[in-house]
Amino acid sequence: MATDPTTPPVGAPVLRYSLPPVRLPPEDILFCVDVDVEARAEMKAAAAAASSGSTSSSQPAGGARVGTRPPVRRMDAVKQAMLLFIHGKLAMCPDHRFAFAALGETVSMVKKDFSSDASSAIEAIHSISASESRYVTADLTQLFKIAHQEGRRAELQGRLLRVVLIYCRSSTKPQHHWPTKEKNFTLDIIYLHDKTGPDNCPQKVYDVLVDALEHVSQYEGYILESSQGLARVLFRHTCILLSHPLQRCIQDDIDFPKQVAKKTVAAEASQKEDGTPVSSQLSVV
Amino acid sequence: MSPCADAAAPASSSAPTLAPLIAAQLNYLLSHSKLPFKVWFPSIPSLPRLTLPLPVSRRSLAGDFVYNALYPKVAPDVVFGPDDEGFQPLVDYAEAGNGDKSCLAHWDCRDPGGLLALVEELRELYIEYQKRRVGEVDDARLAFELSTVLSKEGIEVCMVPPTDRPDEVKFAVPLLDMDYAKLVQGCPWRSPQKIHLQVIFPISRRVNTVPSAPRLKLMSTPELKSLFSVEDVKLPPWLNGMCLAEYLPSLEENLKVLIVEASASIGSRRRFIEALALPFGRPLEADPIFCRRATVLCISGVFTFLVCNKMPETSILSGFSVHFAIPLQFPKQQPVLILQSSQHCNVEGIPIMSPPINDYPWSPRWDVTEMVERIYDFLTDECQNFKKFCSDAITQQK
Repeated sequence: MATDPTTPPVGAPVLRYSLPPVRLPPEDILFCVDVDVEARAEMKAAAAAASSGSTSSSQPAGGARVGTRPPVRRMDAVKQAMLLFIHGKLAMCPDHRFAFAALGETVSMVKKDFSSDASSAIEAIHSISASESRYVTADLTQLFKIAHQEGRRAELQGRLLRVVLIYCRSSTKPQHHWPTKEKNFTLDIIYLHDKTGPDNCPQKVYDVLVDALEHVSQYEGYILESSQGLARVLFRHTCILLSHPLQRCIQDDIDFPKQVAKKTVAAEASQKEDGTPVSSQLSVV
Repeated sequence: MSPCADAAAPASSSAPTLAPLIAAQLNYLLSHSKLPFKVWFPSIPSLPRLTLPLPVSRRSLAGDFVYNALYPKVAPDVVFGPDDEGFQPLVDYAEAGNGDKSCLAHWDCRDPGGLLALVEELRELYIEYQKRRVGEVDDARLAFELSTVLSKEGIEVCMVPPTDRPDEVKFAVPLLDMDYAKLVQGCPWRSPQKIHLQVIFPISRRVNTVPSAPRLKLMSTPELKSLFSVEDVKLPPWLNGMCLAEYLPSLEENLKVLIVEASASIGSRRRFIEALALPFGRPLEADPIFCRRATVLCISGVFTFLVCNKMPETSILSGFSVHFAIPLQFPKQQPVLILQSSQHCNVEGIPIMSPPINDYPWSPRWDVTEMVERIYDFLTDECQNFKKFCSDAITQQK
């Protein structure tokens, strides 16, 4: 790891980034996508703009739907996020590879062979669809079992295994019966959920996800969440996960993305608004 | 990577009827030899065919190593191509009276290293055979040149096949006996790297003419290219009447300087990447051995201040990655930047990327902190161009 894992005292500068000459293994990345009905929840209207690409500066007030475009659902944004991730990873190194799984009550493989071929990844992503019914449980045991096996195989091949779990349920706490074992894969989590209300418990779900991550992850795994329903936030979280586990700092010290702008007071104010690292509590919104 | 990594697979998986003794020898050969073999299986699956290349002189000694399916314990026959009809190693042995030196004389089918030993023996014999042929050429200049380099370890010479260009002889002169891997911390190379000078002399049987200059080309083993590119080297000119003994030393001095620079460039590139973290935050991923690439994640936005003293409004902040491709000749040559949007994609869902950018302000004399700050400043404007580029690309798709 490039930096000392112990957290520096508050106010102290983060340890300088260094790049020691140690081999960086290419990654085998297993996406696990939640296909519960909650993946069908609608994203905010601004998301519709993201998939067609225009990010104009005149936002309709109140986020009204633009024209008669169909609503963008979480699953659509998640698929786009995975495409973004794959192309971003391959642009950095063409040796990274990807496989895909879906999480209903338990995990099922969508594409179990790891491959760096973008078109077969695109095909696999398009084949995933959200269920029309709610699953009672979300059991991660099988996911960890598969990851552990693949982690062994990856290590023999000089590669590094990572699981990226994208979870969408606001009331269902995931569970697992995974014994404490040698950790041989890294776990990242993106948690998309509704705002906290009387009928849900996203904070509890989040805490369980954090525990699971700490229980299994070999290197520093990141957990990023959002209830805002904005695709651009999801895309930004996805891009943060592009970071290679062996070159990461601890989540509290994430200092990117930074704003590229002429340095003015307004620039720094906005930096805080959008660039705040994630804390252990869900963000207030 | 050389074909041997791919070729190793057929011996175990796609040739089901390969006799185990033969498979053992083939696997041993492929895992122990550093030469890039080509292995394939003609229609009869139990008979592998090997092409044995001589990579330095860039000729393939095409030897068909033919095992007998009925008698797999017997050593393979080796059949050479038409250009090498004169190569008859067993005849040479017989003439020299030391036929029992050949590994064919004591072939042990149970020895998995048997095939490798045979291949190496034939390769050595072939190199000697070519040396003799070249030595027989009636050209005084050539004979002289040959005498000055023949003692060099690893020298290879051969006749250029008559089907290509008539009357030429090719030398492959090894240069700079150096362990290049020592120059690269954490070096991943699997075999020693070498640089050769390929020299092609025209044969001139006429006396009293000024010998014409040879054609010269620098060659290296493939993995060395990640440190140093021989193609970028400008060869010193071959002056009239020169000979190799005069030409080689100054070439080697030249190369030594360039290689030291290439090695120092790794350190400069590493410091450049480390400096990126200051204005851009921690890079997403960077190449830690050769330091040729790094990627950072950025956001940008445009601010509009409302007239009536309200809070400044920002447009949606766009996220984008910046991929840095850092050339071998850094800092003389500047990094190439490619921007990749996280919010704009084409109809297939592929994020839009900018064309490569390398015309931003640059000076090799800046220290790395200034280099990265200048790139940051350049990007504050360039990302606006990029946003427009992305919007235009999307509009054109509609």
